[in-house]
Amino acid sequence: MENRSTKPTSVSRRGFLKMLGGVGLAGIAANIAGCSTDPAGGKGWMPQQYQVASSWPIQVKGRVPIDPNNPSIVRDDKKCILCGQCIEACEKVQTVMGYYELPIKDDITCVNCGQCTLWCPTGAITERDDIDKVLKAINDKNLHVVVQTAPATRVALGEEFGMPAGSIVEGKQVAALKKLGFDAVFDTNFTADLTIMEEGTELVKRITGELKKPLPQFTSCSPGWVKFCEYFYPDLLEHMSSAKSPQQMMGAVVKSYYAKQKGIDPEKIFSVSIMPCTAKKYECQRPEMNDAGQKAGKPNIRDVDVVLTTRELARMIKRAGINFNELEDAQYDSMLGEGTGAAVIFGTTGGVMEAAVRSAYFLITKQNPPEALLELTPVRGLNGVKEASLEIPGAGKINVAVCSGLGNARKILDQVREDIKQGLPPRYHFIEFMSCPGGCIGGGGQPRTALPPSDAVRQARLASLYTMDAKIYKKRLSHENQEVIQIYQNYFEHPMSELAEELLHTEYTDRGKHLTAKKKA
Amino acid sequence: MAKGVLVDLTKCVGCGGCTVACKLWNDMKFDDNNPTVGDKAKLSGKNWTVVHAHQVKNKDGETVWRFNKQQCLHCLEPACASACFAKALQKTKDGPVIYYPHLCVGCRYCMIACPFNIPKYEWDKTFPLVSKCQMCSTKIARGEAPACVSVCPQGVFKFGERDELLKEAKAIIAKDDKYIKEIYGEKEVGGTSWMYISDIPFKDLGFKTGLGTTPLPTYSHNFLRYTPFVAVGWGIILTGLYHYTKRRNTISKETNIKG
Ligand code: SF4
Ligand code: SF4
Ligand code: SF4
Ligand code: SF4
Repeated sequence: MENRSTKPTSVSRRGFLKMLGGVGLAGIAANIAGCSTDPAGGKGWMPQQYQVASSWPIQVKGRVPIDPNNPSIVRDDKKCILCGQCIEACEKVQTVMGYYELPIKDDITCVNCGQCTLWCPTGAITERDDIDKVLKAINDKNLHVVVQTAPATRVALGEEFGMPAGSIVEGKQVAALKKLGFDAVFDTNFTADLTIMEEGTELVKRITGELKKPLPQFTSCSPGWVKFCEYFYPDLLEHMSSAKSPQQMMGAVVKSYYAKQKGIDPEKIFSVSIMPCTAKKYECQRPEMNDAGQKAGKPNIRDVDVVLTTRELARMIKRAGINFNELEDAQYDSMLGEGTGAAVIFGTTGGVMEAAVRSAYFLITKQNPPEALLELTPVRGLNGVKEASLEIPGAGKINVAVCSGLGNARKILDQVREDIKQGLPPRYHFIEFMSCPGGCIGGGGQPRTALPPSDAVRQARLASLYTMDAKIYKKRLSHENQEVIQIYQNYFEHPMSELAEELLHTEYTDRGKHLTAKKKA
Repeated sequence: MAKGVLVDLTKCVGCGGCTVACKLWNDMKFDDNNPTVGDKAKLSGKNWTVVHAHQVKNKDGETVWRFNKQQCLHCLEPACASACFAKALQKTKDGPVIYYPHLCVGCRYCMIACPFNIPKYEWDKTFPLVSKCQMCSTKIARGEAPACVSVCPQGVFKFGERDELLKEAKAIIAKDDKYIKEIYGEKEVGGTSWMYISDIPFKDLGFKTGLGTTPLPTYSHNFLRYTPFVAVGWGIILTGLYHYTKRRNTISKETNIKG
């Protein structure tokens, strides 16, 4: 399409002669049939999808900055209509944009959460597409390609294939991955249980004073949240559990333990994960996430090679022409494939807390928690900030808090900071933080089932995870996961052993120097 | 009175919203060969404005990121307009220096004349024209700010009377010592409608410096003044030829298709 004001004009021979005999420039202009005498430039706002010019719409609000090198998200300018929905998500929900002083320093502040991708009405912002890297690995006969699936994808993937929100498609997802040609399909639930063992042990050690680190302990499995804390609350990083996220634990375990058990060279393993999250793409690229490689003396080996979002997996399945809705359920592969109900609820806000409490109870009392503790209702549901206290024999009253959505995290964090400043004793022992509203079920890589993301959809996904915990999974306690028990017997010995510290724990980076956080936001 | 835009470069975060607003208002195509944002951003026949990213050292020697939004500066005495004998480029009383495609003969003198290297040629078009930012003259005529200015989420721009803005800019840089004590566009080649303030020296951000404060047209005018009628005469002939050639091209194209 030509610029409207400069449509190619033609002139007849008669017109040309008339023009030469014309009176002046204005005359010429008036004489050229169809030639506009307007200046170059616009006649009105033209979002490409409407194709008609109109006046400047008031709802034009601008947009968030996105670094062209952002590992998680990309934007297609051709689709952007400057509606400002991404600002809405980033500034109002996640409190990232607008919470730092200008001029910027040397970073385009982004926690990679991808909430903006869920709000963008035109699909201009999307995850960075890494499907081709995975297809290339699958087609490489020299590579052993393993894949892990996060708890929350199994209650959302179906929506991409027309199923109602919250449909449980765990078995179909496994079947699809096997059809796509992955050599082994593992469950991140397995390392969610492993995370509970490590993180729960760390919590107990903080409470008993065996570990000289402050309370409350913060959860560390949501990489968007971790980066948020590194940017805006670096002074509180010692509260962050050193346990890696389940995805990264799986990555490290696959290229160490699994490689050893199977006799496969870690360099020949390609490790993929299917995540509800765009920040996981960034997390797997953090320089320190190469522990299995370090251990093997080859630091260039990454623990996780590529992360695909739920949406990307859906695209891969569609591209391969697989009829997802008709697939027969399949099973995860053994050794790293077992998961419990405690693990599957990691996918929702409050879930990590509940899972941790169940096993902390066991670690402290050496007994399984009573039935009542298996339904910790105060920490369930979509409220942004939740609190609960419970009695654990031998440890007394344990206070916990749960928040999802980073705007909500600020409320709790400001309080923790204030308490420390005033020398008050910590009011909580353990706080769960999730970057995305509702937790991973509302993750930035999940299907865009409602725009903007709605609580109805989140609620449906959340309910399915609790159904799986209560009714579908055989076990509900992380410490009863048979494969987890085995990995400690065969490999790590016990939680927080030297080897476990090496492969399953991590450290954090103070990113406070990359921005000037606003004092009072 | 003449309008202007004051650009505070310390506030820009490089979102590129302004470049998209320009495309949407002016119905400009995206240029697959030249990005509008980043360190490879480049003005082109399709990109009237770009946000160029620079990695520079600040006063304290730290490496920082800064963005420079480039577009036509709309000189108070535009060299491009005075070089154009077809009057295809004209300075309006509102401030914009605008381009009338129907008058353009395609001689590209304006490109040579512009001290800021702004006008671009639409090389990829069959009937190329010169192409540059119009300061959204149609919006300004309605009392509205240019498209790029209206969309910035960070308050980088201020649109208003140039004289007022200049006063304001002076007050800002006097008060806050993060700014360098210079307003780009205040005096450059006689002054421009777009003016910039910054905490980083302008030459580090890719601005053309050392242009002097004398309006460039003062040199070229003399030449034009001797030959005003000839210039207009040539204008007529060249315009005619231009449209005639266009027509012939169209005919031969059609014949080719039929053949
Ligand atoms: S939400 Fe999407 S369309 Fe709207 S401004 Fe942001 S990127 Fe552009
Ligand atoms: S990914 Fe999250 S932090 Fe980054 S721009 Fe989008 S909403 Fe903001
Ligand atoms: S910047 Fe160049 S193109 Fe723009 S008005 Fe000045 S001389 Fe003309
Ligand atoms: S819209 Fe504003 S913040 Fe964004 S690139 Fe343009 S000037 Fe900078």
